[in-house]
Amino acid sequence: MHLFWSFARQAFHTSAIYRFDFWLRMVSNFVWMFSEYWLWTVLYTQKAGAFNVTLEQMVTYAVMASVIGMSIRPGGSVAYQIATKVKNGEIIMDMLNPLDFHLHTLARNVGETLFLTATLGVPSFLVGHFVLGMRLPANLGQGLLFLLSLGMGYGVIFSLNYLLGMMSIFTIDIRNISWAYNAVVRFFSGSDIPLWLFPLFLSQVAGVLPFKCIYFIPLSIYIGKLGAQDTLWAMVLQAFWLAALAVVGRFAWQRAHRHLTIQGG
Amino acid sequence: MIETLRMYTKLIGMSFRSRMQFRTDFIVGLVSVVVLNAFSLATIAVVLSRFQNLAGWTIWEIVFLYSLWVLGHSLFSLLFWHLEDLEYYIIEGTFDMFLVRPLNPFLQLLGSEINYTGFADMLVGGVGMAIAFNHLTIPWGLWQSIYLAVVVLSGTLIEFSITLALACIAFWTGRSASSINTVMQVSFVIQRYPVDMYGRWFQVFVTCLLPVAFINYYPAKLLLGKIAPGDPWYWLSYISPLVAMTLLGLAAALWKRALRQYSSTGS
Repeated sequence: MHLFWSFARQAFHTSAIYRFDFWLRMVSNFVWMFSEYWLWTVLYTQKAGAFNVTLEQMVTYAVMASVIGMSIRPGGSVAYQIATKVKNGEIIMDMLNPLDFHLHTLARNVGETLFLTATLGVPSFLVGHFVLGMRLPANLGQGLLFLLSLGMGYGVIFSLNYLLGMMSIFTIDIRNISWAYNAVVRFFSGSDIPLWLFPLFLSQVAGVLPFKCIYFIPLSIYIGKLGAQDTLWAMVLQAFWLAALAVVGRFAWQRAHRHLTIQGG
Repeated sequence: MIETLRMYTKLIGMSFRSRMQFRTDFIVGLVSVVVLNAFSLATIAVVLSRFQNLAGWTIWEIVFLYSLWVLGHSLFSLLFWHLEDLEYYIIEGTFDMFLVRPLNPFLQLLGSEINYTGFADMLVGGVGMAIAFNHLTIPWGLWQSIYLAVVVLSGTLIEFSITLALACIAFWTGRSASSINTVMQVSFVIQRYPVDMYGRWFQVFVTCLLPVAFINYYPAKLLLGKIAPGDPWYWLSYISPLVAMTLLGLAAALWKRALRQYSSTGS
């Protein structure tokens, strides 16, 4: 556990180097948040209270989605880090090291995610709350449930990104695939639009995919859209996907050992 | 000038042939970009199917708007996307190689890579526009066709100039790809929806500060007949080429300046 945190801290520090980049990202996220705010405000002038969700709840959902998107997103750095290691052969060192690669990668990523949350997520949250009228959770209990659910959502997206990275061991280049991957995850995770807007067919598809664990479930809990029982079931579903994907991730690494080809080896 | 163009086509041809070595990547890349655009459009379609219009724009008008952006973007993507890689060229010393060869380093940079996924963007933009056109009644003639071509090229140049200006940062800091990515994301967020829906200061932002509204929004308004000749802002729909040329001039000046003060990273 001590080792885990030292890797996490290291990642935290490497992320802190580039200042111009940081400000640009901050501005870009504000643009995104404002865009979401205007989109729903304008749409709700046509149909107030659509789908039993008030404008305030909808804005909270959408703005909070972009706050979370600052630190947790599909195609985050995990996949590219692994792919780069495969390309330049560094992955061999990871295979020789007496370290658990899966946990090591997780530790690094937790560090990066915490860094992004502290530096970009928190300011975005404050702007969302004070400027765009984003609500806080109805009570402390709901807030805590949201955090727990968000944590599991993070676990799911980490596992998926990790698996995408593992693919690079089998196919070498994942840059092109990741375009499609990002689009599919964004769409079905509810990061751009909440899943209750989906027509029947699409919501059935979204129902059997793990992606809604990432944004849709935590955000629905945050705005109080789910009742007590629905919340419980949603979180059980998250726990199920988290466990399943973690197992697949470990299995993939074992397979990778047998399959590895290093470019230019 | 002609010699330069000949050199450029030769370089691009070489890049294309070397890219075509990887057939699977080529197919996967094309399919991926089509999927990416399909889901962006699906998001808009789902929203618009639940609400009737967005700030007065119907679904097909927005598809037209989006396609207009994708068409301009496709040429940028095909020929200039690798400006994003300038930081690696600098860090790995590839750029120093460009500098010692007896050919304009900028030309070598432009010719060094081709990004075939631009073909997929072209397909999406073309098909999207054709379908939107079928669902709308837009007066069309020779004038509109010429205007469309000019606007698409202006869009390419606007994106090119903004990216080039950002890429130049790498000469000072050794890092620019991430900034380029960030700005592209902002631009994408803005292009998806008509600028009408935003508040006044936001409209000023995308018109004056980061003038991406000239890529598709203002021209689309004119083509779709969403702005009357008497409107005080009518002229904005005509100046996309002017904006493109101005930005290009600024970016070129920045490039020259960056190159003058550049000393290798020494790796």
